[in-house]
Amino acid sequence: MTVLDMRDVRKVYRSGDADIVALDHATVQVDHGEIVALLGPSGSGKTTLLSIAGGLLTPTEGTVVVGGHDISEYDAKQLTEFRRENVGFVFQSVNLVPFLNAEENLLVVDELGGGKGGKAAIARARQLLDELGLGHRLKNLPGQLSGGERQRVAIGRALFNNPKLVLFDEPTSALDTKIGAQVMELIRTEMKARDTAAIIVTHDTRMTTYADRTVHIVDGRLDADSVGAGH
Amino acid sequence: MNLPLLELRRQPGRFVVATVVLGFLATLLLFLGGLLDGLYLGSTGAIRAQNADVFVYSESARDSFLRSRITAEQRAVVEAAPGVQEVGGLGFVLLGAVIPGETDLADVAVVGYELPPKGVPAPPNDGEGIADSRLEDAGAKVGDTLLIGPQRSPITIVAFVDDSSYLLQSSIWVSLSTWRSVQNVNRPDAAVGDTVVQALAVRGTGDLVTSIDTATDGDTKSLVKADAVLSLPGVKQQKDTFNQIIYSTLAVVLAVVGLFFSLLTLERLGLYGVLKAIGATTRRLFAGVVLQAVVVAVVAFVAGSVLAVIAAAALPSSIPLQLTPARFVSTFIGLLVAAVLGSAISLRKVTKVDPASAIGNAS
Repeated sequence: MTVLDMRDVRKVYRSGDADIVALDHATVQVDHGEIVALLGPSGSGKTTLLSIAGGLLTPTEGTVVVGGHDISEYDAKQLTEFRRENVGFVFQSVNLVPFLNAEENLLVVDELGGGKGGKAAIARARQLLDELGLGHRLKNLPGQLSGGERQRVAIGRALFNNPKLVLFDEPTSALDTKIGAQVMELIRTEMKARDTAAIIVTHDTRMTTYADRTVHIVDGRLDADSVGAGH
Repeated sequence: MNLPLLELRRQPGRFVVATVVLGFLATLLLFLGGLLDGLYLGSTGAIRAQNADVFVYSESARDSFLRSRITAEQRAVVEAAPGVQEVGGLGFVLLGAVIPGETDLADVAVVGYELPPKGVPAPPNDGEGIADSRLEDAGAKVGDTLLIGPQRSPITIVAFVDDSSYLLQSSIWVSLSTWRSVQNVNRPDAAVGDTVVQALAVRGTGDLVTSIDTATDGDTKSLVKADAVLSLPGVKQQKDTFNQIIYSTLAVVLAVVGLFFSLLTLERLGLYGVLKAIGATTRRLFAGVVLQAVVVAVVAFVAGSVLAVIAAAALPSSIPLQLTPARFVSTFIGLLVAAVLGSAISLRKVTKVDPASAIGNAS
């Protein structure tokens, strides 16, 4: 079943008198449990595609359906709520809240959703961190964790709300090759275990081996051979 | 879990500078307010204590008790005016007093009265006086006979009352005849006749000001109590000046909070982008900024209050500083409002944070 269905999506930015086409008639589908690597050079439109898929940007044209929600026409408030409940993000620079420990960084998601960090939420956070190999680091602040551990906490945060889709923005760019490979292996294991769809933006072709499928993007256009769903 | 409060608890160092600056500003606000209150209360006690709705001056007195003279005929007209229920004569004379055992002269206001003010008993016998407690602080005791003015008119203290000073001088409440005697002996240039008073304290109903001044055909000028208090020499000017300084200080508080939280918000733009991306609303993030500003203001107020109380205790009694509960409350409210308004300056920055900035940002 398709989790992400982007059809004929265009994103055009106005710069002075000129229109800049960041995404040009992009069509892509991602199924449950499928891991898609999005590969392309800088400025190719990877970030724009990821942002539109995650409800961070609205398309100029086309339709975007995530988990059955057509978010193409959502306003900012609707998109905020949509992201909170349906999408997980793992950012390039990790971006954990620096004054919260590992467990609390996961509970942020619960708090933003109106939760009070109750027993169930704490149990969920501990279980996730335990699964991610961080059961002994629950009370450590981000500054006390290694780069790989921080990225694992970020993955836990992205998974906290059982999202249908998780978007990874160059998750290994700040890690050395060995740790990066470990993180990618972990991402694959976790996504598959939860049957969660994922898009992983990367520059590094070595990382595409962890994906079910690789989609290439150049100048805002997707590679015609790699856009369909499949494993 | 509350993110803004957790940040305050775990990273207090980030807020120390703002808290210290606001703490000193709170102390300054309390000092300014305390001086204003001290000057105001010390100048106006004798009038505020009056059980009167309206004060009646002679038309030419320009709202001054010391310049005013009301004759028996004018008083009779006032007593007959519509709405008037009770009328009492008032007389004031400012002189020096010799307190037994003290070397320095004490400044006193000898006040003749008929209607007992709040806390003051009925007029004592001639030659006796009820003194303001300031005089007790200056060394006077019940039973002491004070020698008043250059002619050393004797007045024996029979009791003390609080908060009844006049123009920062200790009042001595006496009968009208004692006041006339002291006035005429020591200030012959301002001597008054046996039935003359300086002003009238009037109780009654309705528009007494219009009623009385119409009845006297413009021979008198009447003021309601609040206006009479403000017409005392220097009171309104002091109040306006200090209030202006207090408002300016509050503007500085607002600027400090605004600047501090703007800088803090600038530092947090990346984090706000991430939090917005994972579902935080602008309202929630802005409420966090306001909450932190309020907590900083509360802590600063407590610290500033403690400092003000300690400093006030160390000041010499000649400085008319009075820290009243009302002043603490108004300063607290002023700080809170300035903190909230100051933090609101960050609203635009928080609103403009684009959640999409979290993606593709390696910084």
